[in-house]
Amino acid sequence: MAKYRARRRVDAAAKILCVAATIFGLGWLTLILAALVWNGFGGLSLAVFTQMTPPPGSNGGLLNAIVGSLIITALGLAIGAPIGILAGTYMAEYGRYSRLTFFVRFINDILLSAPSVVVGLFVYQIMVTRMGHFSAVAGGVALAIIVIPVVVRTTEDMLLLVPGSLREAAAALGMPRAAVIRHVAYRAARAGLLTGILLAIARISGETAPLLFTALNNQFFSANLDAPMSSLPAVIFQFALSPYKDWQHLAWTGALLITFAVLAMSIAARVLAARAVNK
Amino acid sequence: MRGRLAPRALPSSRLMRVRESSVADISIPIAQARLSNEVVSRARALRGLIFRDRIFRIVTRAAAALVLALLGGVILSLAWGSAPTIRTFGLSFLITEVWNPVTDEYGAFAPICGTLITAFLAMIIAVPIGIGIAIFLTELCPQPLRRPIGIAIELLAGIPSIIYGIWGLFVFAPFLQAYVQPALINASQPIPILSTLFAGPPYGIGMLTAGIILAIMVLPFITSISRDVFETVPSVLKESAYGIGCTTWEVVRSVVLPYTRVGVIGGGMLGLGRALGETMATTFVIGNAHKISASILAPGTTISATIANEFTEAVGDLYTSALITLGLILFVITFFVLVAARLLLMRLDRKAG
Amino acid sequence: MNEMAQTARTNAVQNASREKIAVRGLSFYYGGSRALKDINLSFSENKVTALIGPSGCGKSTFLRVLNRMYDLYPNQRAEGEVLLDGENILDAKLDLNLLRSRVGMVFQKPTPFPMSIYDNIAFGIKLYEKLSKSELDGRVESALRRSALWDEVKDKLAASGLSLSGGQQQRLCIARTIAIKPEVILFDEPCSALDPISTSKIEELIDELTDDYTIVIVTHSMQQAARVSEYTAFMYLGELIEFDDTSKVFTSPREKRTQDYITGRFG
Repeated sequence: MAKYRARRRVDAAAKILCVAATIFGLGWLTLILAALVWNGFGGLSLAVFTQMTPPPGSNGGLLNAIVGSLIITALGLAIGAPIGILAGTYMAEYGRYSRLTFFVRFINDILLSAPSVVVGLFVYQIMVTRMGHFSAVAGGVALAIIVIPVVVRTTEDMLLLVPGSLREAAAALGMPRAAVIRHVAYRAARAGLLTGILLAIARISGETAPLLFTALNNQFFSANLDAPMSSLPAVIFQFALSPYKDWQHLAWTGALLITFAVLAMSIAARVLAARAVNK
Repeated sequence: MRGRLAPRALPSSRLMRVRESSVADISIPIAQARLSNEVVSRARALRGLIFRDRIFRIVTRAAAALVLALLGGVILSLAWGSAPTIRTFGLSFLITEVWNPVTDEYGAFAPICGTLITAFLAMIIAVPIGIGIAIFLTELCPQPLRRPIGIAIELLAGIPSIIYGIWGLFVFAPFLQAYVQPALINASQPIPILSTLFAGPPYGIGMLTAGIILAIMVLPFITSISRDVFETVPSVLKESAYGIGCTTWEVVRSVVLPYTRVGVIGGGMLGLGRALGETMATTFVIGNAHKISASILAPGTTISATIANEFTEAVGDLYTSALITLGLILFVITFFVLVAARLLLMRLDRKAG
Repeated sequence: MNEMAQTARTNAVQNASREKIAVRGLSFYYGGSRALKDINLSFSENKVTALIGPSGCGKSTFLRVLNRMYDLYPNQRAEGEVLLDGENILDAKLDLNLLRSRVGMVFQKPTPFPMSIYDNIAFGIKLYEKLSKSELDGRVESALRRSALWDEVKDKLAASGLSLSGGQQQRLCIARTIAIKPEVILFDEPCSALDPISTSKIEELIDELTDDYTIVIVTHSMQQAARVSEYTAFMYLGELIEFDDTSKVFTSPREKRTQDYITGRFG
């Protein structure tokens, strides 16, 4: 009986530790979000969205950084998402049983977790040194390289969820595979494919390291893709590590904006994915 | 229209004879006659579609191959960029602690050590906690709370790295400096090894701070993989253990964990791969000191932090090359860790079949 | 008996027995295991032939050879000859898409595409023919009428195909198949997921379709085979045991195994 009581005690202790671990994990999320709101919310004003990043000691906003981020993210997505969807399509459709697919899946999973700073170095090597200067395009390519594995993974997974019976039914009408894929498989997996793209946006909109050596930063508004371009993460990096209080405040505000945008997209992606899978 | 009444039609009793008298004589004209109208136009319509199908297949295949090419390209370009460093310093680059842009002397030892130490610290913290959360989510948590809590933990992975950095620098490090580190230093003073490990002064930023933040960042990866593999444990196994009177903890320890060991290790490796390569968060809180200290409270540097901090300011080919070589080293280390993680997880997939 | 009638009857007899598909020495393999063993039989034009047998006997496998559906998967291969109007469809160089446009298939579970009812049908037609909007509308309507679905859906053609009931979905799939004017329609247990009323509707439909199409139906229900088919093939363990007029197979089977199966001794 004493032994039984000891076992119960161990069990209770383990359970308490597990609960504590969960509280620990959730605690950080709360603390970080609270700190963001606490430090960043006060700085939210119209000026943030209408004015350029200021020199130290004067007022300004984040307009050029926000626009820059949107442009570079769009660029990364425009390059990366089609490639990712096509590659995922090959893996789930034409090459489902091929050796290439096996290797690509393996390597893709590794790229998914590969350090993003290395991607920055790679693009610096192949683009910035060739072109002789930093540019928004280089930043877009760097982000595209991060987009690809995310989209490949979800595209393959979601296309694999499309029931084989639907493919067979389409093939039974004599449709060539491309028509089956485009008109039936893509349509059936639409929500899932969108999830992948949302996840990719969420993933890249906060990426900093790959932009530092590619798009660099720009104090001014620029829509020139062939020139350095500002981005929210790069501005946060620069401003947060600066000694100026007003720059630091802007960094917090930018951080708040990015985080809530990213979290909103992650949640949207999750909801969409749940719907895609349940269907 | 369908030629049904055509005299070519053969009574079934003659079927065998048809076959004997060479198929070519009789059946081909039939086929041609029938292929004449509708089927021919259909075949024509299909030709275009089939051509497009071929093109689409080639394009998708090329996209898939591009993923492989990316990996190759990254390795090749980094190796190419590393050539000057390797020519100048050789393998001693790996074990030299000096990092001096002024005299153009570089060694990767400090950042390599920093990377390994911070990642190790992160794993010590994140693995048990991540598994604990996974156990909570699969065994203890009331059903309706599972999804929200699971999502909340996964959201930690969604927060961009730079946010951890700014938060770590302005909120977390000052907190550690003011409350935690002095206590640690005092408490470990009389104990031989610990007193070196936790030698002061309390900077706030440093290896330990970076390690803790990395732990928070990789926590969701470890949790979600552990949770996924815990869910693969057949409920029969668990039920039979409960059936002989095991407590929840005993079921977890003697059924769930042994059954999923490979997957949990794989998840841990995946987290390790992330921790090794994480850049912005560490850059903010590591302190950027190119030296190796015995104390984990001291500032240090990691490979990724060195690159992020110095790359845009690097002047001179050798300096740039040294940083690229650091990138190559980081990529190779994380590559092997991630390969190991995938292989372990694949083994599990095969088992789950 | 005048000459006209004589000719008509001769034609009718020939008609009845003209072979649409001739299967010669067909074997089928899933990897190393042989699922069909040296099958020989022919399917007569504009007749319904039922394939029956206990599950796993290879009847569905056989059906999937007739439109080369197995080609979608690796490690599956067929040997022998399957002649569609004299042309061997197992030929490696055969245009599979064309074959499948001539040999349509309706599956066990209804598989409407994730698009509107109208598009479900128009889609296949547009693949092969360039039609004006009104011609296309006409074709869609006639396909839906032909499959006895028109009255139920004519007011909601834009609704999703998935919004229909199971039986309606199955008829939509039949409409979709006949819309592209195949010559042969394969039914793979088309009623196994349906209620009795939907089942009887589909059976009536199959009966009407024989005017224009050669039909092969796999069914696990012997009653269904007896109701809809002119010929019945009984398969067992990958072999064709017996093939004859349906009435003969069910009333006086030659083989003991057929007898055992139809009397419910196994299966």
